Amino acid sequence: MYTLLIDTHSNKINIVLFENEKILVKKELETEKNHSITTMPVLIEVLKNGNIEISNINEIIVINGPGSFTGIRIGVTIAKTLAYTLNIPIKVMSSLLIKAVSFPHEEINIVEREKNGVFLGKFDKENQLQGDYKYVSNKEYKELEKNNTKEDIAIDYMKIFEFAKKMKSTNPHAVNPLYVKKIEVQK
Amino acid sequence: MKDVFILAIETSCDETSMAIVKNGTTVDSFTVLTQMDTHAKYGGVVPEIASRMHTENITLVLEETLKKSSITIEKVDAIAVTYAPGLLGSLLVGVEFAKTLALLYKKPLIAINHTIGHIYANNIDNKLEFPLLAMVVSGGHTDLIEMKRDYHFKILGSTMDDAIGECYDKVARVLGLPYPGGPNVERLAAQGKYTYKMPRPVLDNTYNFSFSGLKSAVINLVHNELQRGNEIRKEDLACSFQTTAIEEVVRKVELAIKNTHIKSLILAGGVSASHYLREEMKKMASKYKVSVNIPEKKYCTDNAAMIGAAAYPLFLEKRFVDFQLNASSQANIE
Repeated sequence: MYTLLIDTHSNKINIVLFENEKILVKKELETEKNHSITTMPVLIEVLKNGNIEISNINEIIVINGPGSFTGIRIGVTIAKTLAYTLNIPIKVMSSLLIKAVSFPHEEINIVEREKNGVFLGKFDKENQLQGDYKYVSNKEYKELEKNNTKEDIAIDYMKIFEFAKKMKSTNPHAVNPLYVKKIEVQK
Repeated sequence: MKDVFILAIETSCDETSMAIVKNGTTVDSFTVLTQMDTHAKYGGVVPEIASRMHTENITLVLEETLKKSSITIEKVDAIAVTYAPGLLGSLLVGVEFAKTLALLYKKPLIAINHTIGHIYANNIDNKLEFPLLAMVVSGGHTDLIEMKRDYHFKILGSTMDDAIGECYDKVARVLGLPYPGGPNVERLAAQGKYTYKMPRPVLDNTYNFSFSGLKSAVINLVHNELQRGNEIRKEDLACSFQTTAIEEVVRKVELAIKNTHIKSLILAGGVSASHYLREEMKKMASKYKVSVNIPEKKYCTDNAAMIGAAAYPLFLEKRFVDFQLNASSQANIE
């Protein structure tokens, strides 16, 4: 049983291959805004190191954002295409949820930074999102009260894997990036 | 020789399209999902929305294309994808999608230039006859190209400012016509007469084009008339503009026909869907016994069938690319 995790929401591309209940290969690559050149070669390297073919994958976990628009589009496009063509389950987790899951807490506000602002999400101790994800500018964020707020959390991929086991899979056609931030013309 | 099937993908602007093309000339299966209605609300293509919609629809378009095809995806010989030029975010969705399929099904990957795709649309149910002249007219291009053989391009001339399609869109906007401008200007022009005096674009003997003067003249004329409280005869203005713009394209092509030894003339790009342009070009070319080839309308606008057609010569020469392929908003064809 092989599970492939694809996370391209930031300038760090993370591809993790799980075999049964363990991490078999994990590769992180910092990219200078060039997810397109690097993501697929990193994925190929992970498969090679794991000594498996892409068609051996049984399940996919994709991090669909929020974060870099281009980054999440690339990760999600690869992930949903694989899930659809291989006809395997795909589970979708947000970039904020994987932070919450990685850090033991009661109630917690998770922060994900981008250039001009931050994405916010509040989770309970079961890692259920409270309310909606929000985007605020850096200026607005400065003025916010920061109780139980956490930004720098090292992602624990084993915990992500365990959490994903309990999740329902999504129809691959319906897997889409989570942008949160509105674009100019839609405001 | 064994038949060659290529699965082609096109996402350079606001159409998500896929096709399976046999031997670069027969379309086995073809899907175009256009986002036109969405972008029409904003008066033009919004790049970020276009990229988002490609991501949403890409696997659905694949499903539809495979459903209509006579072969399974395992049986295709190669995956071809538009990598440039176009909207970067949109191109990237198609490029990553194509790489994923190439990896999974162990197929060679072929990167196609969108403009070359428009030219090869003329190879669908047809055969390019070399040497030829290709007149590429679209929202991003106004290029006159000489081709002596497959994939041998010599640009004789280009627009020095706006592309002709861009000019149509601006004129449509100032006349209050909805996006996409081209077909709407043409429809209106058909009911009008050439009554407004228009500046002639470049009256030189190069093969270059210039449309910004003509565009500004239309915009200024509309503003001036409105300020004076005069009513604009929109159909006449559309007709005057179109006649002048197309006359210039035809004149430059005629000049090139006189100075080169070509067998055929092909039209390519979105504006080649224009009935008026097609008729004027045929009229002119008939004087020189040059055959004129124009793609079927559905292969004039952005589509993946033309990408499959353009990929075939590269497949025969094994000109494949690796998984580091990146998209690019600009690219030369020479």
